[in-house]
Amino acid sequence: MTVITKLTDRFTEADIDQEIVIMRLDNGEFFSLSGTATKLWRLIDGTRDEEAIVVAAASEYSADESEIAADVHEFVGCLRAMGLLAVR
Amino acid sequence: MERETRVSFGRVPHSLFSGDLREGSWQLHGDQFLLRGEGHHYFHYRQGRGVTVERGSDADLSEESLWLNGSVYAAIASLNGLLPVHASAVAHNGQVFAFTGPAGSGKSTLIAGLGNRGLAMFCDDTLILNLADDRPIVCLPGHKRLKLTPEGIEVTGTAREERVSRSLDKFYARPPAGEVGAVLPLARLIFLEDGGDLQISPISGAERFVMVRDEHYTAHLFAAARNFDRASQFAHLSCLARQIEMARFVRPRDTARFDEGVATVADYIKAVA
Repeated sequence: MTVITKLTDRFTEADIDQEIVIMRLDNGEFFSLSGTATKLWRLIDGTRDEEAIVVAAASEYSADESEIAADVHEFVGCLRAMGLLAVR
Repeated sequence: MERETRVSFGRVPHSLFSGDLREGSWQLHGDQFLLRGEGHHYFHYRQGRGVTVERGSDADLSEESLWLNGSVYAAIASLNGLLPVHASAVAHNGQVFAFTGPAGSGKSTLIAGLGNRGLAMFCDDTLILNLADDRPIVCLPGHKRLKLTPEGIEVTGTAREERVSRSLDKFYARPPAGEVGAVLPLARLIFLEDGGDLQISPISGAERFVMVRDEHYTAHLFAAARNFDRASQFAHLSCLARQIEMARFVRPRDTARFDEGVATVADYIKAVA
């Protein structure tokens, strides 16, 4: 299994109300996550691969896994491109 | 703060580093702060020793109290772990309602207008927050007199006192409902914005972080005094965003609707407090 992990030395984060603000430590840029993205971020806990995240998210939202898989893939890909996640 | 802000006069260093300090700029090093006003007018603060002012022959003394109550006071607060925020505030039922916005956004005029509706002034222009305890954040009573533009005096009907300085077209004014001099918790930080329709709405989530991050007035002073790196600055702002309840007050900048706006804010405060 290829587990997705957060590269925690590259960012810092904060919960504010129901949202998460993340700042990249290399350039100070920050962005926020809300709604489903917050849930997906929390599911990336270093024990799951992309498929396991899809299963957990689909269960959480009572959704079909095939409906949610593309969103998870895009989310993980975006954060990997930003250098905040690694697949090991 | 009273002990730290005591003022004496005499010679001070003209730089805390190598090289001269330009007019209107400041330096912060360790427990010291040095500001140069116009000409040879220096303000030096050192923790535990108060402020020393050096007046050169070309110093503009009409500006002295503005420097002391503005940047010098903010630096002293920052060096002593207090956060200065660019805001004016009223107090109601033992809580502080603060209004922030850029210079000229009408903070002081709103405070005078709320005074006409019985809400006492807590501070004008600078709100000092004590972040020492996790919750609630408490506010130190204001140290500045209310200053209004001629337009602010006219629209609020406040009695005008002396002119603030030669260079500033503002006048001191007595707050219509008096002042509160107690340490009180902060109930709301309300951002003043221009818009078409009168509205007060809450600010939540990540937007709170954005709002406190954009409050630039003395943020750089506080960051310098606390030796913040990028991560600790983020942690500081996040902490503020979590702890401070925020709202935005959108109103048209139309003097004909000023009273209506003041009434809206007064009703809001009385409903919250």
